[in-house]
Amino acid sequence: MRMATETGVAIGESEWEVKVPAKKLKNKLHFENLKAVVMDTGLCSRCLTCVSICPSGLIVTAEDNVDFPDYEERCLDCGACVRVCPRYDYKPLSGLGDYIEFIAGQSKRFKGQDGAMATELIVSAIDMGMIDRGLFVDRDERWMTGIFHVQDAEQLGVLTLGGTKYTFANVLPELKKAVMFTKRGVGVVGTPCMVSGIRKLQQEFPVFRERVKLVVGLFCTENFHYEEVSRYLQEKGVDFSKLVKTDITKGKFIATMTDEEVKFKVKELEEILPGGCNVCTDFTAVESDASVGSVGSAKGFSTVVVRAENAKKVINYIREKRTAEFGEAKPEELDFLIGHKKKREENIKRD
Amino acid sequence: MKKVATPEYDIKDKLKYHVSALSTAAKEVVMPLNITTHYPRERRKWPDCFRGYILFDPERCISCFECSFVCPANAIWMKEAPSGRYYPTLDYGKCIFCHFCVDSCPGGALRSTKIHDVAYKNMDEMFTHTEEMIEPPEIIREDEGYVEYEIDKEDLTLKRTKGKDKLIVDVAPSQGVPMVSLCIDRGSCIACKVCEKVCESGAVSSLLDEAKMIIKMKIDSEKCTGCGLCVKECSMQILRLVRRE
Ligand SMILES: Cc1cc2nc3c(=O)[nH]c(=O)nc-3n(C[C@H](O)[C@H](O)[C@H](O)COP(=O)(O)OP(=O)(O)OC[C@H]3O[C@@H](n4cnc5c(N)ncnc54)[C@H](O)[C@@H]3O)c2cc1C
Ligand code: SF4
Ligand code: SF4
Ligand code: SF4
Repeated sequence: MRMATETGVAIGESEWEVKVPAKKLKNKLHFENLKAVVMDTGLCSRCLTCVSICPSGLIVTAEDNVDFPDYEERCLDCGACVRVCPRYDYKPLSGLGDYIEFIAGQSKRFKGQDGAMATELIVSAIDMGMIDRGLFVDRDERWMTGIFHVQDAEQLGVLTLGGTKYTFANVLPELKKAVMFTKRGVGVVGTPCMVSGIRKLQQEFPVFRERVKLVVGLFCTENFHYEEVSRYLQEKGVDFSKLVKTDITKGKFIATMTDEEVKFKVKELEEILPGGCNVCTDFTAVESDASVGSVGSAKGFSTVVVRAENAKKVINYIREKRTAEFGEAKPEELDFLIGHKKKREENIKRD
Repeated sequence: MKKVATPEYDIKDKLKYHVSALSTAAKEVVMPLNITTHYPRERRKWPDCFRGYILFDPERCISCFECSFVCPANAIWMKEAPSGRYYPTLDYGKCIFCHFCVDSCPGGALRSTKIHDVAYKNMDEMFTHTEEMIEPPEIIREDEGYVEYEIDKEDLTLKRTKGKDKLIVDVAPSQGVPMVSLCIDRGSCIACKVCEKVCESGAVSSLLDEAKMIIKMKIDSEKCTGCGLCVKECSMQILRLVRRE
């Protein structure tokens, strides 16, 4: 038997087995299973893990919801979507999760939503050579989200990457692309639901295990559909052409424009709360390598929950290079929002 | 300081040079030594690696699309033939004659000729359909002769020789590098079977074992032509072409 030297795989032995995931609804296509169990029950978080993995590339976000319009003809019935959807066998996570360090940080080189530590972590990982690209959520002048692949710190100067956009973003489909062409590894920032999706991808597929090297999670109470939140904000008098920052602090939604500020209670947004967020209990992204958020630290700082060794290495590197200042953070300040999200467990319908 | 002076000739030398000049003039009248090529009555002798008009052999084509993928000018468009197979068409309005397509064709279906001067009436005509690529275009020539130039090292003059040449020199079809498709990360396979669907030579197969709920994937290296279509289409990018040896 001849050996292909590059891979060590023997030619003529190209046979392998793939497990077919079990179906909850027998004799139905896998996508129909996903639709019935996740989408139609309002569990779908719009994390887009299914979109990223589907080989047909035809699962789309139609009117903000995730759908596969002509699945009857086009679904290949491979079952990849049900293998990776974090809500298919939904095991809600909550609490603060395990951590090595709980600190406050403020980047000296970037401006962000809070202390720009999300950006600092990814860019430092690039500087260290841990990863060769990081994915950021960018926006256009109408605040529609887009994904940007960053390969060095200089690219960040010109873009509006730092800062929270309270609308869903196509991070995971872009992550799949990045994984396909990365050489060293990819770093990514996402909401807790995205982090769970990434972990599912890693659990199922070695390519993701090997190539996604840093997963930064954001604290998250909820996110919104673009159409709905933009309509709501416009009704409140927010002019998107002047909008520079959106934030939720102390129960208030604050839209900062160049000349004025619009503030209102977040509770008001409850009527447009997406179903997937209504059943989401994970505030701190417990499955991430490091979580970053606003509560728990002083103004201008980000709270950083360092959970895994890889993230710890990046933090040590930041300390060594002095690209950020560190301070104290208070875990107990998170209790309220952790509890608030824990209560959403009641909204999960179980049959 | 060095002085420059006119050389001194004696009568014998002068006579010799005059005779030489007259004989050259006489030679030019009888057999002019022009160095330009009288195109189109004659042409240069093209080397055997000449990149000219491209011919196509459907028998050797495995419809792998490699030529259309590799073409930097986007000149190749794969079109469906009545048989259902896809074959290349070539737009000479775009082609830059790099012959990457010829070099990349694993089956050796594309090959070069020494034809470089095809005339077209308009841009549309430059779009060459598959059928028009099988045979060389109609050749209307006043002369099939070629000229070749060589510098005479002795007296540093340009020597011009003429000869006859076959215009369509068939370049031997490319052998390519014998490649075979291989899965390098079996754990990441989702069994979407796209590879099986695109494989023209039936080398990829899948078998569902319903009792065990597994799909057996197989690439038959005997049947694999190494076209690489599955490698391109694999949604997880876990297939690679590797050298057979
Ligand atoms: C939808 C959402 C809800 C949040 N809710 C809370 C909350 O209730 N309490 C709290 O303390 N913190 C919350 N955060 C986190 C907070 O807003 C900041 O993102 C976090 O503190 C990081 O700040 P930074 O300055 O370190 O990040 P920066 O360095 O400014 O980087 C921000 C990062 O967020 C990413 N990002 C922006 N928008 C999105 C999006 N829509 N989807 C995915 N990633 C995005 C960007 O790619 C960037 O990497 C939320 C974030 C999001 C996206
Ligand atoms: S093709 Fe596969 S991943 Fe896509 S919807 Fe169908 S079963 Fe799911
Ligand atoms: S929760 Fe995520 S993976 Fe599951 S269906 Fe919704 S978008 Fe797809
Ligand atoms: S609340 Fe949960 S489901 Fe909604 S965006 Fe945040 S992490 Fe995702």
